[in-house]
Amino acid sequence: MRIRKPGRTAARLAIALLVLAAVLLTACGGGGIGGGSSSGGEAEKVRLEGKPSGSLTISNWPLYIDKGTVPAFEKATGVSVKYIEDINSNEEFFSKMQPLLQEGESGGRSIFVLADYEVVKMHNLGYLQEFDKSALPEFEKHLTASLKSPPFDPNRDWTAPWQSGMTGIIVNKELAPEVRSICDLFDPKYKGKVDFLNEVRETVPLVMKCEGVDPSKATEADWMKAIEKIKGAAESGQIRRFTGNDYARDLTSGDAVAVIGWSGDAVQLQADNPNLEWRMPTEGCMLWSEDMVIPVGAPNPTAAEAWIDFVYEPEVQANIAEYVNYVTPVEGVKPILAKRDPELAENQLIFPSASFTKNCSSTPPLEGEEEQKVIKAFDAVLNG
Amino acid sequence: MSRRIVPYFLLGPGTVWLLIFFVVPLFYMAELSLWSGTVGSFEFSWHWANYSEALELYDSQFVRSFVYAGTATVLSLLLAYPLAYTIAFKAGRWRNLLLFAVIAPFFTTYLIRTIAWETILSDESPVTEFLHAIGLAPSGHVLATSGAVIAGLTYNYLPFMILPLYASLDRIDVRLIEAAKDLYSSATQSFLRVTLPLSAPGIVAGTLLTFIPAVGDYVNAQFLGGVGNRMIGNVIQSLYLSQSDYPSAAALSFVLMALIMIVVVIYIRFAGSEALMGEEAR
Repeated sequence: MRIRKPGRTAARLAIALLVLAAVLLTACGGGGIGGGSSSGGEAEKVRLEGKPSGSLTISNWPLYIDKGTVPAFEKATGVSVKYIEDINSNEEFFSKMQPLLQEGESGGRSIFVLADYEVVKMHNLGYLQEFDKSALPEFEKHLTASLKSPPFDPNRDWTAPWQSGMTGIIVNKELAPEVRSICDLFDPKYKGKVDFLNEVRETVPLVMKCEGVDPSKATEADWMKAIEKIKGAAESGQIRRFTGNDYARDLTSGDAVAVIGWSGDAVQLQADNPNLEWRMPTEGCMLWSEDMVIPVGAPNPTAAEAWIDFVYEPEVQANIAEYVNYVTPVEGVKPILAKRDPELAENQLIFPSASFTKNCSSTPPLEGEEEQKVIKAFDAVLNG
Repeated sequence: MSRRIVPYFLLGPGTVWLLIFFVVPLFYMAELSLWSGTVGSFEFSWHWANYSEALELYDSQFVRSFVYAGTATVLSLLLAYPLAYTIAFKAGRWRNLLLFAVIAPFFTTYLIRTIAWETILSDESPVTEFLHAIGLAPSGHVLATSGAVIAGLTYNYLPFMILPLYASLDRIDVRLIEAAKDLYSSATQSFLRVTLPLSAPGIVAGTLLTFIPAVGDYVNAQFLGGVGNRMIGNVIQSLYLSQSDYPSAAALSFVLMALIMIVVVIYIRFAGSEALMGEEAR
C-alpha cells in the first residue's frame, strides 16, 4: 500500500510556500539591522513630566550596586524599579541594542551604564538624550571636580559617571611576588600563567606604556606595534588566555598567577584569597569611567533623572562605594565612610590620591578607520 | 480526496515553523551578508568582498574547526561503539539503567557541564597532575590547549553518537549473527561482515549528529581553549558582538554552512545514502 504521491503536488506546495515567504518578507518591511533612517543630527532632550512616578528599568553590570540602594530609591520616590544586570561587555551590549536604538527604541530600558568610549560612540550615532539639568541638583553639586568636564562632554550634558576605576595588574603575592610592571608580565618565568584582558582599549595602551609610549599620543603604528608584542606573547604561550571578569576564576584556581585586571575586582577577590593583590604597574595604570546615560526612546525619563540624582546623594553613594570598592565619582563620600570604616576610607583603590595615579592615562581616543583597523588587528590576536 | 490532504495538514505546523524561524531569518542573513559600511551607516550594496575577506582572514579558524570537530567525531565513535554494543547485546537487565546513564548528563545544562571541566582540568587538579606524570601534558597544563577543547567536544556530543548507534545495533536480528557462526565464521569475521555493516546507518547518523554541531560550537573553545584554540563559532560571535561587523559575521556563517554542506554531501555519497536511511531507502 503506497500513499505517496510525489511530483506535482509537492512542487505546488513548494511554490505556495515560496509565495507565502515572499508575502511575509514584504510584510516585515525592509527593516533589518543598521542602515535605513538614521536619527543622527540634533540630540533629543529629556522632557520632564512632573514628579517621578511609575516604573523604571535600569541596565547595569553585575555586582555593581549594593543591596539597599534600589529599595531605598523606591521608598523615597514611589517609583518601582526593574534593575537588570545584563551588561557583561560594552561592545556586546551595544551590538545587541543597536538595531533597537536605530529604530528609536531602548528595549524598555531608561538607563544604561557603559564605558566612556562606548557612550561617545552612541552619542555620535544619535542614540542618547540630553539631560534636563533642572532635575539634577545633587548631581551638579556633588560630582567630583576632576570628572566635571571631560573632553567628550565638557558640561556633562548627557553623561553622569556611575563609577570609575583603574586597570593595572592583579598578582598572587605568593606565586608571582616580583611582578610589578606590565613588562614583567612578559617574563618567561610566568609562561602560561598570565591572563590579559580582552579589552583593546585597556590592554593595548598598557603594553604601549611598557614600551615607553604615551597612549594619549599614540599613532596607529604605536597601536600596531603593541598589538604585535601581544601577538608574540600569545603565540609563544606566555599568555594563557584573554579574559573579561573571568580572570577571577583563573586566579583563584592558581591557573594564572598574574593578570591585567580591574581595581575593584581585586578588593573583592582579596576577601576570598588574601594572597591576591592589585598593583599599580610601575609604568602607571589606565583610568576609566562608566557613565549612566538615557537612551532615545527611554520610557519615563523623569524617573531616570530622579535615579541619577538619587545616587549622587553622598549618603546613598557611600553605601554603593562601600559595596563595589571602585573609585566613586561623588564628592563627600570619604568622610561618611571614614566614620563607618576608617580602613576603607584610606584605601588607595577607592580614594586614590593624585600622587598614586600620577602616571596613569585615561582611555585614549580611537575613532573612525583607525579604530576599525586596530580592533580588527586585536581581534585577530584574540582569535589566534 | 480528504485522504490526500491529510499529509499536508500534518506537514503544515512544522513547515510554517521552519518557514518563519529558519527560512525568513536565512533570507535576512543572506541580505545582511552583502551590506557594506560600519554601524550607523550600513547599506545594501552587493558587497561580495565580505565573502572573500571571510575566507582570507579566517581560513586557519575554519581549518581548525573542521580538524577539532573531525577528531572529536572519531574519538566519539571509538568510545561510543563498544559502549553501544555492550548496551545492545550484553547488558541484559542493566540495559535501561545504562541508557539512562547515557542520557543523564542532559539533565544538567551543557554550559554548566563545560564549565565544570574547567575545574576538572585546571593546573592543580589531580587529573592534570596524572596526565603530566604519564607524559601526556608536557607543558604542565591541559586547560587552555587544543586537547582540552577536543576532549570537551567529544564529551559533550558523545550521547548523540551513542543513541543512534544503540538504536541501529539493537535492531540487528541476532539470528543473523548466529547464522554466521553456524557457517563457521570467527567472532571477528561475524562482527566485520554482519554486525558492522548492519550498524552502518547508526554510524552515519551518529557521526553527522556529532560532527555538524561540533564544527559550529564555540562554548568549548571559549571555556576550555586558550590562545590559538578559538574556533570559527568564536570568530562569528566576536564579529557580531564585539566588532558590530554584522555583514562579515553573516557572510562567515554562510561560508560555514556551505562548507559543512559540502563535507556532509561528500560523506554521504561516500558512505552511501542506503547506510543513512537503512533498509527503507532500498
